[in-house]
Amino acid sequence: MANGTHRKLRLHVMRYNPRVPGDAPRLQTYELEEADGMTLFIALTEIREKQDPSLQFDFVCRAGICGSCAMVIDGRPGLACRTLTKNLGEEITLAPLPFFELIGDLSVNTGKWMRAMSERLEAWVHMRAGELDLTRIEERMDPALAERIYELDRCIECGCCVAACGTARMREDFVGAVGLNKIARFRLDPRDARTDADYYEVVGDDAGVFGCMSLLACHDVCPKNLPLATQIAFVRRKMAREGLG
Amino acid sequence: MKIVYTDVLVIGGGLAGLRVAIGAKRRGHDVVILSLVPAKRSHSKAAQGGMQASLGNVIKGQGDNEDVHFEDTVRGSDWGADQEVVRMFVNTAPKAVRELAAWGVPWSRVRPGDREVIINGQKVTITEREEAAGLIAQRDFGGTKKWRTCYVSDGTGHAMITAVGDQAIADRIPVHERTEAIALIHDAGRCYGAIVRDLVTGELRAYVAKATAICSGGAGRLYRVTTNAVICEGIPTAIALETGIAALGNMEAIQFHPTGIFPAGILVTEGCRGDGGLLKDADGHRFMPDYEPEKKELASRDVVSRRMEEHIAKGKGVKSRFGEHLWLDITLLGEKHIRNNLREVYEICHYFLGVDPVREWIPVRPAQHYTMGGVRTDHTGESPTLKGLFAAGEAACWDMHGFNRLGGNSVAETVVAGMIVGEFIADFCDRAENAVNIPTRLVQEILAAEQAKLDALVGGRGTEDAAALKVRMQEIMTAKVGIFRDGPVLEQAVAELEQLLVRSRNIGLRCKGGGANPELATAYRVQKMLKLALCVAYGAYTRTESRGAHFRQDFPRRNDAEWLRRTLATWKSGSDTLPTLAYEPLDVARMELPPGWRGYGAKDYIDHPATAARAAEVEAVRRRMAGADRFAVQQALMPFAHLLPARLRGRNERIDERF
Amino acid sequence: MQARADVIAGVGLKDKPRKSRWPARMDLAQSVTGLLLGLFMWGHMFFVSSILLGKDAMWTVTKMFEGYFLFGRPYPVLVSFVVAAVIALFVLHALLALRKFPANYRQYRAFSAHRRLIRHGDTTLWWVQFMTGFALFFLASPHLFQMLVHPGLIGPFESADRVWSGGWWPLYLVLLFAVELHGGIGLYRLAVKWGWLQGADADASRRRLAVAKWTLTAFFLVLGLATLAAYMKIGYEHRDRAGERYVPARVQPAPVGGGGQ
Repeated sequence: MANGTHRKLRLHVMRYNPRVPGDAPRLQTYELEEADGMTLFIALTEIREKQDPSLQFDFVCRAGICGSCAMVIDGRPGLACRTLTKNLGEEITLAPLPFFELIGDLSVNTGKWMRAMSERLEAWVHMRAGELDLTRIEERMDPALAERIYELDRCIECGCCVAACGTARMREDFVGAVGLNKIARFRLDPRDARTDADYYEVVGDDAGVFGCMSLLACHDVCPKNLPLATQIAFVRRKMAREGLG
Repeated sequence: MKIVYTDVLVIGGGLAGLRVAIGAKRRGHDVVILSLVPAKRSHSKAAQGGMQASLGNVIKGQGDNEDVHFEDTVRGSDWGADQEVVRMFVNTAPKAVRELAAWGVPWSRVRPGDREVIINGQKVTITEREEAAGLIAQRDFGGTKKWRTCYVSDGTGHAMITAVGDQAIADRIPVHERTEAIALIHDAGRCYGAIVRDLVTGELRAYVAKATAICSGGAGRLYRVTTNAVICEGIPTAIALETGIAALGNMEAIQFHPTGIFPAGILVTEGCRGDGGLLKDADGHRFMPDYEPEKKELASRDVVSRRMEEHIAKGKGVKSRFGEHLWLDITLLGEKHIRNNLREVYEICHYFLGVDPVREWIPVRPAQHYTMGGVRTDHTGESPTLKGLFAAGEAACWDMHGFNRLGGNSVAETVVAGMIVGEFIADFCDRAENAVNIPTRLVQEILAAEQAKLDALVGGRGTEDAAALKVRMQEIMTAKVGIFRDGPVLEQAVAELEQLLVRSRNIGLRCKGGGANPELATAYRVQKMLKLALCVAYGAYTRTESRGAHFRQDFPRRNDAEWLRRTLATWKSGSDTLPTLAYEPLDVARMELPPGWRGYGAKDYIDHPATAARAAEVEAVRRRMAGADRFAVQQALMPFAHLLPARLRGRNERIDERF
Repeated sequence: MQARADVIAGVGLKDKPRKSRWPARMDLAQSVTGLLLGLFMWGHMFFVSSILLGKDAMWTVTKMFEGYFLFGRPYPVLVSFVVAAVIALFVLHALLALRKFPANYRQYRAFSAHRRLIRHGDTTLWWVQFMTGFALFFLASPHLFQMLVHPGLIGPFESADRVWSGGWWPLYLVLLFAVELHGGIGLYRLAVKWGWLQGADADASRRRLAVAKWTLTAFFLVLGLATLAAYMKIGYEHRDRAGERYVPARVQPAPVGGGGQ
């Protein structure tokens, strides 16, 4: 393709550094020429290398698997690294994920929130007490069950679901779809010794599953297409039963 | 000035770092993990295909054990590996997989009965055993005699780091996210922690620790075309080098993965070929059997990558706007398999290429993938020269990969080394003589010196552009220190990199602000990366043989007589423009598997003078002990169990091998 | 080997005071009251729209509810009982739903901005539900109160006179939209919230549900508008004799005793 046929893109990027006294949020516009196969990762990297070395954003894997680069792209949360500019218009608006602590420009502290969420939900396999003898053959698991667990385990903690969540916008202590999906995942796992009564302790309130208003934007923006609607409904049924029991 | 005190400072929050931290913490030591990014976002996550461990559950893995895994790994390394370490590794790998299974990794499991697989382009029906039902399954990977790679669909690294990261949270191990170690604190041959920059505020802090563990992965970003994440810049490896005391081993040993998608370089897993995918050229011809009749697409990575480039050089590449590439054809695996077992591949092709791999071929070309070299350690993971400095995983030259790593052995190394080195670090911290006794004044001086360097960058009058220097370095590395290497070109590369290093001392920043200042980060990183690049390029130039992934067109043969040695690079003085190279011989007389032909790739090599004698000796032992159990034979050839932490010495049970 | 007794089930939870079960109960109660109200509204609309089949049809439906065909004479108080039950559900549902409303202006603004930015169907629908729910406090209450205290004033002329001569038609027009949108969205949300009517492909199920929801909403709006128009027409034509009770032709010869009041 000849150079002349490439579009000129205009990226309107939300700039704000909360650590700089007197700084105020503003949109800054960068112009650059589109290239074949250009992703927002490539575009933003080029802007930082050639136009504005102060621009803050987060990319790690640049392959859509680590969840670092979630941002609001033309109004919707998504992974910037795997968003091809050719699927966007010539005017592209980028903003940091809302809800999370802003580090600067497009960089937000999803990691801190995710860690706190994991601690609060005790989001790890709670093993049964006793010795684990690593020389022995592993415990068996139904192959279909392993696949179902992996299906939920694919969450990359990017924060898109929480950023898209209207409930979280009003309730800052809401665990979000990411948290409820984790509960569904551990509940499915026979290696986790917890019971529904234990799970009720962490998500059985309005900051947990009962706070969810089923707006399902989480489900619709999830870059990994996790079955969040189904899983949240599942957790709700189990916790409601636990609450009645 | 802020000083954080802890027992163990782990630099890097990937699989190796997390597992080291868990090991030390469960032995009762305080641990702090430093990580550039939230731990679960580390590059370990990108390991798609799987982790090698000789469980032998699937029918195609029947008969697999530590001995077979050992031989595959040593052959894969082209005899560059430390065989004792390989033994430690293969004996611990099954334990690591089983530990992860208990921690929640949803390993893909064996379904008993018939199933259709693709082997060598043909549909074959294999029958899994009833007694293996529900046990962890294995898939085929390059360079292995048995199906040995345990996997979770094609998100193995993701599932592993999720489970290990969760355990670290359960153990209340603090991860100081968005921090970067920019210098090691050391005094009189002893390492005491690191000077650390907070990437959010820009503030410097000192972390003082009894033991410091570098678990920061590889340095793929020395190259322009790499499968590595953007954070894989090798900075912690470089700060070890900058001590002038710790040595880096075999930095010239760089692996190129055959199937980076073209042109972005994003990895598609070896599992594609392991599961039956084929490499094809511009004519749609499957060319690998022409070069490697035995292993075909599943020869080791160095061999396949080289054959691919060779084939492109013959004019068989597919021409495109961005250059030439080849095809990876997985259409024969069928939609169900691709959508279930190669799901990430499907997504990557869909999002980045707009290609549907169920129906279309994937454009691929080899891309930088792995740093076999790293901080040289002994079998405990400790630097032999800088006490208290440990390393594990890709950042280390422990050295189980030698000059070429097998697919599936890297994630395996992260957790195995994590288990082993974690124990040794705990032992180290247990010993009273290893208490921290560095004067605070000294820590302050070191911190002040680092602050002064940063201030000079921000406030100085330099004129060089950091980002431009970095791009130039990456281009030189990809163009001149790549898959095919040649003396004169390497000499040129070294000279150019030296110039870049000199220029990097005159970097000026456009962005003078304090705080995060990403340009400042680029500036100090490129200074360090150039030193690593020089270790790679100069090591490659000096090593006048071909071994594993290091291929010299002017010296195409492996030369055991002169080069059965590990390169050790140190950086003696800040004003140097080249590393100081030394060589550490590998002792043929103690090898369980004396050097020979790998079973694939070039067959001609120059023997070490001691090889014949050792081969005869090994042969004699095997003859004399014919009929004895394999453990006794192994023990007679090269005892290693004493090297392992006591709790990891046990024999591994299998369905065909019970104790 | 690795003893892991320190991280086991229920760590830290076993000795903690157990969490209240009320959130679960309230969540269920909100759903159940919503479901009952939603279903009631659909039934209500069918009964009211019987006017489209003629005044006699509507009269018959009314009298049926007053127990006329069971006891031989109408007992409007029976309607009051139903209305009282509906009011109870309505109030309970409103109280429970209040928990989900923006608690202050800051939350209101945050959600509102979020909705505009994200342009997401189900999020916008919730906003509609919130707005209509809020409106229903004011719109449904007068109607319910009227029905509670004047249960006998339901009938082809009685209702039509209220609509036209009583000037209630603007309220009913707005109420119609509020109720149908609120109820339709609410029932759809209930289904996705609890995972009802879900097939193997959850996304396809949700799409089908959405189509069903819009179809039903459109149907009831059309039915409701037609019904309201019918009452307005009758009321307009009957404006000069407003207040007159409706007596079907077939029962007219019978002596008119204490029918009605």
